[in-house]
Amino acid sequence: MNAAWEQVYGLLVEDGQIAIGTLAAFAAAAAVSVLGGQLHNDMLRNLAGPLLFVLLMGLLLVNLYAAGRRAYPATPATPSAAGSSVPKK
Amino acid sequence: MSATLATLAVAALPAFVASVVEWVEAFTIVLAVGNTRGWRSPLWGVVGALVTLGVIVLLFGAPLVIYQDQVTQSFHILIGILLLLFGMRWLRKAILRFAGIIAEHDEERIYQREVAVLREQSMTGSQNAWDNIGFWLSYKAVLIEGLEVAFIVIALGATGGSALQAAMAGALAAFVVVVLAGALLHKPLSFVPENFMKFVVGSMLTTFGIFWGAEGLLVEWPGGDAMLPVILLGVVLTSYVGVRMLAALSPRRAPEGVSV
Repeated sequence: MNAAWEQVYGLLVEDGQIAIGTLAAFAAAAAVSVLGGQLHNDMLRNLAGPLLFVLLMGLLLVNLYAAGRRAYPATPATPSAAGSSVPKK
Repeated sequence: MSATLATLAVAALPAFVASVVEWVEAFTIVLAVGNTRGWRSPLWGVVGALVTLGVIVLLFGAPLVIYQDQVTQSFHILIGILLLLFGMRWLRKAILRFAGIIAEHDEERIYQREVAVLREQSMTGSQNAWDNIGFWLSYKAVLIEGLEVAFIVIALGATGGSALQAAMAGALAAFVVVVLAGALLHKPLSFVPENFMKFVVGSMLTTFGIFWGAEGLLVEWPGGDAMLPVILLGVVLTSYVGVRMLAALSPRRAPEGVSV
């Protein structure tokens, strides 16, 4: 049971941001699909698929960008900082 | 014939690749336990964990397969979300490892660490005597790594037809391959490109999740199943953009030609 809980915890809490984003993207796609159904508009309903793809890939890139920013915080371009990271010619 | 090939591609292959990654990680722990505390108890631990995993897959997988026709739409949604949660997680981690933001899994280092920890613990009796610690350590390692495999097997297997059997066969084949390789080499399988394999599985799970999840929302994809490789290509290209973006953020700029 502990092992199962660790898996669920890892999936929803450790990677919570991406899990919540995934569920939100799915909910948004579902809303478009339902709207398309209510308006009897098949084209709108079928847009939910590509929308889900775009939202998830956007989520992935935003999440990666945030992780990259946390790992490499932007430093002001002071002469000393620049000197330590930019190779001298 | 084409249906068989499709089942293999959709269920067995990702289950096999995902399982190889997880079984390699479990094998490292079992090898460390066996080499330091004797093999009898850890091997029983492996058997116990496999039986537990089999029960979990049958307990949760079988009803999903049996009743899927009665709950087709909500079923597709459930499976789509499950695949997306796993796929996006694996994909994200693999990309962060490619970019060097989180450390790559090093089986050799993990093995050495486990052996050092196990050698510090005193052991009574001979190497053939029953050893509770050895049993539970290997049971836990196989169960924890295998649970992710079990979830993936259930999700892939729930796509209908013979998919569950194909996914289970993929996972079992991976187990056999890892055990055979491990028995032959008798050392951690650190040559297995775990991160690349995780990336492949993450991409495939995300693709299937998008496809089936959208079908659950009554979306009709243009071209039907032919959209699967298109979505997969989109996922791979987005991942490549992600790796390049992280390389650009890095103060020590990654070398040209970073591969995903």
